[in-house]
Amino acid sequence: MRFQTIIEPFRIKTVEPIRQTTVAQRAAALEAAHHNVFLLQAEDVLIDLLTDSGTGAMSVHQWSGMMKGDESYAGARSFAVFERAVRDITGFAHVIPTHQGRAAEHILFSTMVRPGDVVPNNTHFDTTRANVQDRGGLALDLPAAEARDPHVAHPFKGNMDVEALERTLIDNPRRVPLVMITVTNNSEGGQPVSLENVRAVREVCTRHGVPLFIDACRFAENAWFIKTREPGYADCTPHEIARAMFALADGCTMSAKKDGMANIGGFLAMNDPELALRCRTRLVLTEGFPTYGGLAGYDLEAIAVGLHEALDEDYLRYRVRSIAYLGEKLTAGGVPIVTPTGGHALYLDAKRWLPHIPQSQYPAWALSLVLYVEGGIRAAEIGSVMFGLQPDGSERPADLELVRLAFPRRVYTQSHVDYVAEVVLHVGTLADRIRGVRIVQSPPVLRHFTSHFAPVADTLVSR
Amino acid sequence: MRRESWAEPWRVKVVEPLRITTRAERERAIREAGYNTFLLRSEDVYIDLLTDSGTSAMSDRQWAGMMLGDEAYAGSRNFYSLQNAVLRYYGYPHLIPTHQGRGAEHILSRILISPGDHVPGNMYFTTTRVHQELAGGTFHDVIIDEAHDPASEHPFKGNVDLAKLDAVVQRYGAPRVPYVSVAATVNMAGGQPLSLANLREVREYTRAHGIRVILDATRAVENAWFIQQREPGQRGRRIDDILHEMCDLTDGATMSGKKDSLVNIGGWLGLRDERLAERARNLVVVYEGLHTYGGLAGRDMEAMAIGIEESVQEDHIRSRIGQVLYLGEQLIAAGIPIVRPIGGHAVFLDAAAMLPHIPREQFPAQSLAAALYVASGIRAMERGAVSAGRDPASGENRYPPLELVRLTIPRRVYTQAHMDVTAESVSTVYDARHRVRGLRFTYEPAMLRFFQARFEPVDAPVRRDADADPAGRMNDARSVSAA
Repeated sequence: MRFQTIIEPFRIKTVEPIRQTTVAQRAAALEAAHHNVFLLQAEDVLIDLLTDSGTGAMSVHQWSGMMKGDESYAGARSFAVFERAVRDITGFAHVIPTHQGRAAEHILFSTMVRPGDVVPNNTHFDTTRANVQDRGGLALDLPAAEARDPHVAHPFKGNMDVEALERTLIDNPRRVPLVMITVTNNSEGGQPVSLENVRAVREVCTRHGVPLFIDACRFAENAWFIKTREPGYADCTPHEIARAMFALADGCTMSAKKDGMANIGGFLAMNDPELALRCRTRLVLTEGFPTYGGLAGYDLEAIAVGLHEALDEDYLRYRVRSIAYLGEKLTAGGVPIVTPTGGHALYLDAKRWLPHIPQSQYPAWALSLVLYVEGGIRAAEIGSVMFGLQPDGSERPADLELVRLAFPRRVYTQSHVDYVAEVVLHVGTLADRIRGVRIVQSPPVLRHFTSHFAPVADTLVSR
Repeated sequence: MRRESWAEPWRVKVVEPLRITTRAERERAIREAGYNTFLLRSEDVYIDLLTDSGTSAMSDRQWAGMMLGDEAYAGSRNFYSLQNAVLRYYGYPHLIPTHQGRGAEHILSRILISPGDHVPGNMYFTTTRVHQELAGGTFHDVIIDEAHDPASEHPFKGNVDLAKLDAVVQRYGAPRVPYVSVAATVNMAGGQPLSLANLREVREYTRAHGIRVILDATRAVENAWFIQQREPGQRGRRIDDILHEMCDLTDGATMSGKKDSLVNIGGWLGLRDERLAERARNLVVVYEGLHTYGGLAGRDMEAMAIGIEESVQEDHIRSRIGQVLYLGEQLIAAGIPIVRPIGGHAVFLDAAAMLPHIPREQFPAQSLAAALYVASGIRAMERGAVSAGRDPASGENRYPPLELVRLTIPRRVYTQAHMDVTAESVSTVYDARHRVRGLRFTYEPAMLRFFQARFEPVDAPVRRDADADPAGRMNDARSVSAA
């Protein structure tokens, strides 16, 4: 017979103890962290779902690669191994390592974007947006209409609005240096982009002579959704689908901390040799020599192995299923979440769950704080704190108020997931008593990382 | 005088095999690399003395620390280990980790330098000066004259000349001088230290004028060892004590952990001023990573914290610098002109003195490094006119007084036998020095050109532009057109 239970396609080789804390200890820790979970000491966190970025468990094969790291400053053989792996998956001719994804964005945008330019994306992620704005460019989000409703069950809610893209390119001749498409679309709930959509975007870009770059952080998860949801790809391997997707683009930026299964690293890859040369000239300024790009040789080895492991079908099935499993439990308990569940995270819909908190009091941020105090779970706000601050200093509410429960790769077991479900359902019983927060102190950019907050009332949860 | 022999204060735990190549293979490899040792594949190199940066062997304790990596995105415990180690040994209360030293230089230049500012320093360093210039600043060399004389035996050739510093401050006014950049040791002068007495004078002077002092602490532990060995009254002091006092005399530091701290990746920015640190944290998140990881894996911060502690151990630093001295003394005995006294992390061959038949505009140091590789498979680095680049205003080549080839010794990697081979190889090239030919550019990048430049021998037939391969071997893959 065929068994239905999907098990982890690995066993555990090394463990890391986690520390139990009490509600009172956590309330004190949160106070000390100025009501910002980014400022918590990791030791005070029980289940860390802040991000899936760089938090994964490496395999024995990756660790053995770590021991083979060639730390030569120039021309290391580890670079050759890395370059081969990236070329095998993306097909791009020029591979430029960087210390992580935002550095790849920084290099690309500082090479291509000039003040006043417009960069369209299905939805920019926070660091991507910051890097475009840092160059004096406008980061324009063009998500497909279905992405804006968290409760519509469309299979490819990460898609880009192709018509809007066409209009943008017509309205801004010569002001669009490149088009980006983010797979999966993190800011819109980790939703995938269909190959059909990438193809349509490619056609528009070709017509207007604008290069297309993929923000490829979660390319393997996106390939899995294409395989399982898009007609005609069920029999393709994730590797074949990834190749087909990259073949539609001129280049990509990548944070290897996601689908590279590594704890650090990233890259920039492209076909244009002249652009690659200009990028390498910038690279040596802020990152490192082109054959290490600010990474140790051992990191290059770990990424080369991890990129292929991320495309393993058993792994991807388990990965996506873990998130869906939590989603089913929460939906059954009446918790409003973004559906369908995405590839790397489950998103709680705070706007619907906490309608009594106005967006000016950051309902998703408040919810993330309560999750921590009640259950020791650390999650990230993807809402008006992250996206509300406009470049001119004004404040505009975000379309969605989400709390992201991001799953590190291969780190937590089903028991951990069961515990998370229990905590979220418990928080649900407190929902109408949760109060909003205000910002006490904040930096000019990327404010969610370091701002200080305070509850608007005496306590986060009124008695 | 009794020669004190020294032995490494460790034994070997993990090895990495080396490949020995033939002369024909090396001739092909250097041609393909455009006569630039940076562009060689490490597999084609026998003894790699290109740099001591990130090339060290970690200890078993550091590898154990690697397994203690806490990869939490925010608040990793490894950040606190690193913060404690920096506070204890360097004394800076505010620590901002960065993926490596140039990440820290980038952030520092952005927060301290305004367009039109002037930054005095004890000799330029390649990446440091570029970041100062990109931020709109102008660098002024205020090192003592002895530093530019490879034969001078001055014990502290890295010292700042207070009169030169004062001249810069008088000319532009203290408000236009955001800080004095003090490197310990001074890499481009030949790994030469500055004295504690000199640093105290710099501190007194800058305090009187309201100017900050920022230390390039990359090899400050090695500098502390020279202070202990050479400076009157410092003989009995502990290395960590001297290091701490050096840092006490400064307002902040940029650090590449890839040198003194015995790691393969990592750096940091240390500051005393809380408000400056706040601005640095706001920038580090854009370019490097959140301020509790700064673009490093948690395990890398742990390895660096342990490496810092290992780096200040007397046995370690004695054998580290002892190995460099061992190589340098052999070369001196063979009559080869090197920078004197022997520096902390490298032996610097005086290419201008070795190859007087090659004019400066044909890059004698670049030529010597290529010749050394072909002769023996040893990879060294040019530190002369190619590294110095062009003047941003005039576009002319800068010809620094020193035209050197650096034989840089990675920490804990090579044995005394490797040093013997190196000394023999350099002697062989020296004996045949009249056969070494000069080089000319075939491709010259706009910034930090030494990394990716390509050359050909001056007596090669001049190539048409169409034959030039500016992108070089790293671009050798056929371009795959987008579908």
